[in-house]
Amino acid sequence: MIRVHDLAKTYPMPGGEFPALTGVDISVEAGEFVAVVGRSGSGKTTLLNLLAGIDRPTAGQIRVAGIALHEVPEARLAAWRGRAVGLVFQFFQLLPTLTVAENVMLPMDFCGTVPARRRRPLALELLSRVGIADHADKVPAGLSGGQQQRAAIARALANDPPVILADEPTGNLDSSTAEAVLGLFRDLARAGKAVVMVTHERDLSGYADRLVTLVDGRVAEDVAVSA
Amino acid sequence: MRPRTVKMWRDLSAARGRVAVMILAITVAMSGVGALLIARTVIVREAEAVYAGTNPASATLEVEGGVDAALLAQVRARPGVTDAVARQTVLTRVRVGDQWRRMLLFVIAPDDPMRVAKLRMESGAWPPADGELLMERTAGPVLDAAVGDRLAVAGPSGATTEVRIAGTVYDAALAPAGQESVGYGYLTPAGLARLGFTASADELRIVTAERDEATVAATATGVAAWLTNQGREVHLIQVPPYQHPHHSQSETITGMFLAFAIAALVLAGVLVAATLGAMLAAQTRQIGIMKTVGATTGQLLRVYLGAVAAIAATATVLAVVPALLAGYGLTGLVAEMLNVEITNRATPWWAPAAFFAVGLVVPLAVALVPLVRAARITVRSALDEHGAGTRVGTRRGDRWLTRLRGGRLSALALRNLLRRRGRLALTLALLAAGGAMFTSGLNSSAAWRSWVDDGMARRAYDAQLRLAAPASVDTITRAASVVDGVIAVEPFVSLPATPASADGQIEVERTYPDDGHGRFLLAALPVPTRMVDFEVTAGRWLQAADTDGVVLNQSAVSRLGDPRVGDEVHLAVDGVVGRWRLVGTVAEAGGPATAYTSPQSVTRFVDPGTANMLHIVTAGDTAAVTGAVEGALTSAGLTVGESMLTEDLRTAIDEHVAIFIGTLLALAALMAAVGILGLAATMSITVTQRTREYGIMQAIGARPTVIRRMVVLEGTVTGLLGSLVAISLGVPLSILVGELLGRISFGLPLPLRLSPGGLVGWLLLSIVAAAAASLVAAHRAARLTVRETLTYQ
Repeated sequence: MIRVHDLAKTYPMPGGEFPALTGVDISVEAGEFVAVVGRSGSGKTTLLNLLAGIDRPTAGQIRVAGIALHEVPEARLAAWRGRAVGLVFQFFQLLPTLTVAENVMLPMDFCGTVPARRRRPLALELLSRVGIADHADKVPAGLSGGQQQRAAIARALANDPPVILADEPTGNLDSSTAEAVLGLFRDLARAGKAVVMVTHERDLSGYADRLVTLVDGRVAEDVAVSA
Repeated sequence: MRPRTVKMWRDLSAARGRVAVMILAITVAMSGVGALLIARTVIVREAEAVYAGTNPASATLEVEGGVDAALLAQVRARPGVTDAVARQTVLTRVRVGDQWRRMLLFVIAPDDPMRVAKLRMESGAWPPADGELLMERTAGPVLDAAVGDRLAVAGPSGATTEVRIAGTVYDAALAPAGQESVGYGYLTPAGLARLGFTASADELRIVTAERDEATVAATATGVAAWLTNQGREVHLIQVPPYQHPHHSQSETITGMFLAFAIAALVLAGVLVAATLGAMLAAQTRQIGIMKTVGATTGQLLRVYLGAVAAIAATATVLAVVPALLAGYGLTGLVAEMLNVEITNRATPWWAPAAFFAVGLVVPLAVALVPLVRAARITVRSALDEHGAGTRVGTRRGDRWLTRLRGGRLSALALRNLLRRRGRLALTLALLAAGGAMFTSGLNSSAAWRSWVDDGMARRAYDAQLRLAAPASVDTITRAASVVDGVIAVEPFVSLPATPASADGQIEVERTYPDDGHGRFLLAALPVPTRMVDFEVTAGRWLQAADTDGVVLNQSAVSRLGDPRVGDEVHLAVDGVVGRWRLVGTVAEAGGPATAYTSPQSVTRFVDPGTANMLHIVTAGDTAAVTGAVEGALTSAGLTVGESMLTEDLRTAIDEHVAIFIGTLLALAALMAAVGILGLAATMSITVTQRTREYGIMQAIGARPTVIRRMVVLEGTVTGLLGSLVAISLGVPLSILVGELLGRISFGLPLPLRLSPGGLVGWLLLSIVAAAAASLVAAHRAARLTVRETLTYQ
């Protein structure tokens, strides 16, 4: 589902070029839950942004959900992203003026993947799947952090994308809520999604299938996580 | 409703204050646009209609000795002539209380078929009895009389005869009586003879089959040549444009004002763009999120354009009622000014369509650029936006910001001001555009007043009197000088003249036969004169040695085809063509086209040592002294035909443009309102966007008072900078407006005059508005807790 080969990304800085990623090779299959760990500045978020088509690589190749992202123009990426990738952020990033259900319906609206009359039932179904159907008509500010993150996950699933990318989704949650969110990602992977999660969590046993460690923009370790 | 549409409405609802400001700005501007659109379309159409409805003469020929019925019948049979009438116009005066007023008598034969230059009877019936006249409907206030009253009308000897006002007429081809300071009366030749005048229908008015000027001129010239062959002398051929006398002025001025109103709308559009741009900047992360869930740039652009369209549509609808009220109010005022009766108040079909199209399209067009820029932001840039200006300092130009020194507070305020230079430029542009238009409106008004004041100051005399016949200069001077209150007397000669060609032919004039629009005078003043000191615009004023020298005022220059100093000028007086050498041109405020020359160059028209006019300088009550001078002249055996106080001339000049100056000032106020609203909106946005930054400052110990002071300082500097740019831009704009207004009104551009009140007023207004808008937003920001401000998105 995800193929990354010899990926490099450098950023121009006042003091010269800064290599955020160098020679990264990673593959993620459908049904696999991969956690990417590393210190701050190791290149985790850069990698995730490249996988989501949010950023463009300086060198190398990225294929996600059948598309060579390094070859696709920016203008086409938005529609592709809406259909192929579900993104989850540390700070949830729900739109504050829309209700939870409307937030979930938004990707369906933009991508036109679901007929208008079927959007709300589907959004309620997704919210029910993540356990917050009762809060469908509240605005995000009325929900706890964990509930907001569940809503964000429901939104990421709105167009049934094959790839889920999560950037420190548990970083702003208490430990029990974090475990519940990790459980949701595990379940999504079991359901056939390719899940890539950037995290600082140390104990991922029982959730992730593989652990990729980045050090100074390079893959230092890529190992299976023991159950 | 689609979630994206729901989001748009809720975002607008959440920013109610700003949306209200945007709507208000567009409403104000569209009220101006609508009002001027209504006034312009209705007035221009109605003026055309009422003028055409009078079936005005295509040409008027002044025929020595008058035109009798037999000759008239022959003229009607001339090629190209479809109708002809003979009329007479006599300028005399009428006693109103203890004052004299000018009176134009239009003499029409009882058997005149009234098919040409038609009048509409409002009361009474045509023809009036011999001792009666009909009064033009606007003349009542000038004559201080109504139907049934009796007027004391002066005859050629100066003796008055009572004439009863038998009714009123509407003469759509005349400017209102009050504006020209003249009474209009209509009577028969017998009625005129009863006053002592010789009835002689010397104005031959012809109507031609074709109305285009070339054909009319050719036909009129042909008739004149035929009359000459018949042994009749033709003094004047007038071929006025086939439109109301004030048509082009009204069209040009209302067009200029409409352009001003549309500029205000563009300004309001910029305000909307700036406000929305800032709202979008605050929503940058949301845009990023929407793009991560699949929104394309086009989809987002349509959402935000929808918001602008909703705002513009609401504002345009809200502007309908004020536009109608102001539009028809203005239409009424201009109609009154033009003596145009509005019979159909409906606007043409395209006017409402244009109103709504302009109201929607202009804001959308202006907002397009910032909206496209916001919608095109990349996901990464959008998600990287943290609200504390983390990118500042990375640009090359930012380094000098750190060199700004001063007090801690002022340095911080100045750096904040300059770090978002695009936003600052937009704020300044808004303020500058509004301010430039505001100050140029006031500057043009000041220039107008200054020009008229200066023009009046260049006339040293307080009154001028016209005698019924030339008399000895010594007699006139002796009679007038002895009157108490008379400081100086200067007799001179003034004769009606007609431009002529080099071969002595009377030239066709493009003027109206109403004795107001298109008069040409040849004035022989003593050299040097103590009574006028006109500004010389080319060449020089008259010198004692100039036996054939002439100086023209700007109207005369225009009428004679823009001759240059040194050229020969030809004028006909009573059919006798004279030649003069142009030695200079002058600027003259008010008054007809005049050629000034020396007494010795008019001896072929009047006896040497005689004069038919006098200027007097008075002390005390000018009207009373002028009355006494008239008495003294009469006692000396002279007949006074007309007297006019200089202050009455001033009133007539002011009356001509009062409504236009008023409209210009109203538009200036409208510009100011939109500019200040824009400033307030952008300052409020700028402060609100820094809410997170203020949280950081409070977190490290800054008190709310310090933050408020810093923000107000920043706003004040913005207001000051914007005012300075506005005042600078206002200068060239004032020159442009002055050029247009001056040329329409006086035939010369208005001088550049800066209105101190306007400049200081704008400076204070913009500084106070900027400071107040910043303070309100800062106060709101300072009320939030540190935690709230740090989490502010």
